[in-house]
Amino acid sequence: MYRLGVAAVWFYRVTFGALFPTTCKYHPSCSQYAVDALRSKGLVRGSALAAWRLLRCNPWSHGGFDPAPPRVVR
Amino acid sequence: MIHLLALFASNPLTPLEHVARHVLNWLHFSVGLSWAWSIVALTVMVRMLLVPLTVKQIHSMQNLQRYAPQMKEIQKKYKQDKQKQNEELMKFYKENQINPAASCLPMLVQLPVFLGLYYALKHFSRESAALHPGNLSFLHFIPSIADHTTSHWGGFVLLVVYVTSQMASTLFMATTVDKMQRYLFMAMPLVFVFVIAHFPAGLVLYWVTTNLWTVGQGLITRRLVPKTAAPLSDKKSSRTPPSDDGRSDDGHGGNGAKRDPDRPSPKPQAAAPPRKVRRKKKAGGRR
Repeated sequence: MYRLGVAAVWFYRVTFGALFPTTCKYHPSCSQYAVDALRSKGLVRGSALAAWRLLRCNPWSHGGFDPAPPRVVR
Repeated sequence: MIHLLALFASNPLTPLEHVARHVLNWLHFSVGLSWAWSIVALTVMVRMLLVPLTVKQIHSMQNLQRYAPQMKEIQKKYKQDKQKQNEELMKFYKENQINPAASCLPMLVQLPVFLGLYYALKHFSRESAALHPGNLSFLHFIPSIADHTTSHWGGFVLLVVYVTSQMASTLFMATTVDKMQRYLFMAMPLVFVFVIAHFPAGLVLYWVTTNLWTVGQGLITRRLVPKTAAPLSDKKSSRTPPSDDGRSDDGHGGNGAKRDPDRPSPKPQAAAPPRKVRRKKKAGGRR
């Protein structure tokens, strides 16, 4: 299911990401964070995490190293 | 409610289109602008809402450019390892309390407007003229903003204006110090012009307007914000406290010792000496 979200991120990357070039203030970048979060937390929680990261990626935040939470192995 | 849900299910972007259409309708029927000028007005409205975001971004960008030499050093040092390079740059930002100019949110806010407008214009060309009475032309050289840009010679003029304005806006708003990346961003419109040629002319109009706004904004903020070097010297001194000559030999240790809690001290160590040498030269020059 999370692949749906990853596909959406890839679609964004080849279309708008390329049309409106920006570099992200975070590392990994917002789109990479979204892919990582979707892979580790699934579609719903991954999307929520990615949305929260996008909100944090505003001109007032300071950016920095901010990786997606790792997958919890049970 | 069910109708709304059905709409959303058929195309998740329909609500965006409806909002764009409502605003355009309001600008056309209530304010009395032509359709093309309604698009221009819509763009200006969006950009006005984004002013606080972009002004902050421009200020951080100007601040960032003051640190360009040091950042270039880091980039050179970790040329091979892009990930390491990014991590080191982030660390450098943090140490100097730099707020990186680039951020995804301002760009993303424009995305829904862009998509809404795209679908609204697409439907414009399909609808009967009765649904959108009035003139669809723009400044007498584009017969219809709903048609493909290349369907008339005027569209080519618009495309040339687009490429020029996009390049100019990149010049003002490129949020990166990396020259290579800057050139790449500058060359982007030359590639994308082929894609954009298939879009409705109104969408290109949106693009041109937003680019021109960016350029104007860049020009104004550049004039308003004087380029003072004062904060640079302050911040530099806070990053690398003026150390004695004797200490500079074991400058790595000195630097690291100042920031004990920083775990990744071994990496910045190597980057520290050349910076110090440079600063000394500068200091000598001033005196």
